[in-house]
Amino acid sequence: MLHSDIKSRPTYRALEPDLAAAGHLLVIEAATLQPGGLAGLADAFAPVVANLHTWLVGEALAAPGLGKPWHLPAVADVVDALACATRGYGIGDRLYVQGTEPFLWSVATAAAIVGFGPGQLQLCHAGSLQRRVWCTHCHGVTEQVTTNVVPCAGCGRHLLVRDHFSRRLGAFMGVMVDAEAPGEIPAIEEVFA
Amino acid sequence: MSIAFKPEETFRGDYSYRNSDAAILRFPFPFPEDKYMYSVNIEPHVRSGPSDVFIRPFDVDEHYIAECRDRAITLERDPGRCQVLPHMMLAQWDTLELLMENLSADYPEHFSLTKEGDDFGSRWTWTNRPLGIEQSFIFGDAATLPCEPFEYITRQAQGDFAICDQRDDNLYMDAGMVTSQADWSLEFDVGMSFMEWHGPVPLAHQTGVFERALKYLLMLRLGQPVRRLNWTMTINPRLDTSPESFPEWGTDRASVTPDNAGSKVHLRVELQTLWRLPRSNAILFPIRCYLASLDDLARVPKWGARLHRVLSSLPPQLVEYKGLTRYLPAALAWLSRHDDGAELPIGTEAGVDTLT
Repeated sequence: MLHSDIKSRPTYRALEPDLAAAGHLLVIEAATLQPGGLAGLADAFAPVVANLHTWLVGEALAAPGLGKPWHLPAVADVVDALACATRGYGIGDRLYVQGTEPFLWSVATAAAIVGFGPGQLQLCHAGSLQRRVWCTHCHGVTEQVTTNVVPCAGCGRHLLVRDHFSRRLGAFMGVMVDAEAPGEIPAIEEVFA
Repeated sequence: MSIAFKPEETFRGDYSYRNSDAAILRFPFPFPEDKYMYSVNIEPHVRSGPSDVFIRPFDVDEHYIAECRDRAITLERDPGRCQVLPHMMLAQWDTLELLMENLSADYPEHFSLTKEGDDFGSRWTWTNRPLGIEQSFIFGDAATLPCEPFEYITRQAQGDFAICDQRDDNLYMDAGMVTSQADWSLEFDVGMSFMEWHGPVPLAHQTGVFERALKYLLMLRLGQPVRRLNWTMTINPRLDTSPESFPEWGTDRASVTPDNAGSKVHLRVELQTLWRLPRSNAILFPIRCYLASLDDLARVPKWGARLHRVLSSLPPQLVEYKGLTRYLPAALAWLSRHDDGAELPIGTEAGVDTLT
């Protein structure tokens, strides 16, 4: 499910520090970490640890080898912190984000607003395949979707969750599944666990 | 040239939209052969072609007034159908200038433009007789128009419009006026790159169509617009087949029978043109929509038979993508009565001067 024939579907890869960059900001969704995950990141980022800031979101884990991590309770706090960052980020800085897709794109969208260009950003998917779904009819957003068809949190219509993805909205498209034949709803299956 | 407008016709509710015989004969039929597949079918947008719709760069026809009214109804219900990202103001003025200059030069009976100068800061006066508009404004000063320039001029034009900003060797859809679309959402797509907004199209990515098309468009030159035709099918002559309103029109697809297909099922052809804009270096992408019922098309024997063959041999992925699955059998049953199997000449021309 991380790959699709639909070309708007983003692809992700393991984080790898850009050795030529000035500053490095690493943002991790703690709940998605596998055992040994932090140690692996510490190995990868060891060459740049002197200029590394790590933000751990959620559980306050110890993170040896990743500098002095800053703990934030939720992704909303990352968005706030980026929006009012007192330290300005420049073209030489890099942002690395690891977590579920809704997490990645919440951070990416907030980072774009404060001036991070696509070339300064690395995204690595980890944890659940759950999706944020945007309703084409009411434009409402339904979070934490793990099924092929989901009732819209905005208008209640049953939405078929497509692979078409908008980076601006950080969400997959949902289209009313029974618009042609009202009531004909296919079996609902968990496909983005 | 004088156009006999049909101001009362509708594209919703009672669907009173109809084509005159002349409108059928000039329909931009898109199928030169009995089979269809995606290709980079881009050609120079010159003032000639197999249909009269190509004679003027921005074609105005008998449906002009009714289409502008339908757009206003859709915008009233959903203002998000017109979106312009903040960095696109220069491209907005480029678009206004291009449309006003072409419409007034090609249809002097209906439109006129008086300029005190060509540059920003000059006073311009625009007259649109079919819609009863006279507007004096300062070119380059949005505050002198009733709304922003892109919305202002595209409310007075047939067809949808997108503006693609060019940067990083890519095109980004950073503005649009989209009220008569074949089931794509501007709200979802605005800001997307060329490959992203074409993401859902089946089969074409694998054959490299989009890479070649993008490479071609990045080189598009000022004063040398290009065009292509695209097509789908629509039930009832409905312009607003957006995903936003899909709950309103989705059930129409289940209403088609072999007996009513002739009047219900419409071929929807998009004349897509691409224009380099002079100040912004963006690309204007007008998508001009033409609708003809199967009844209309079968009055040109070549077209009725050819459409039957194209739809019979359409790859299943395209049937699904274009949303034809539910009613294609009924449409084919209807069309088969108009196909005697005789060989048809290559080309899209009607091949007749009067309708049967």
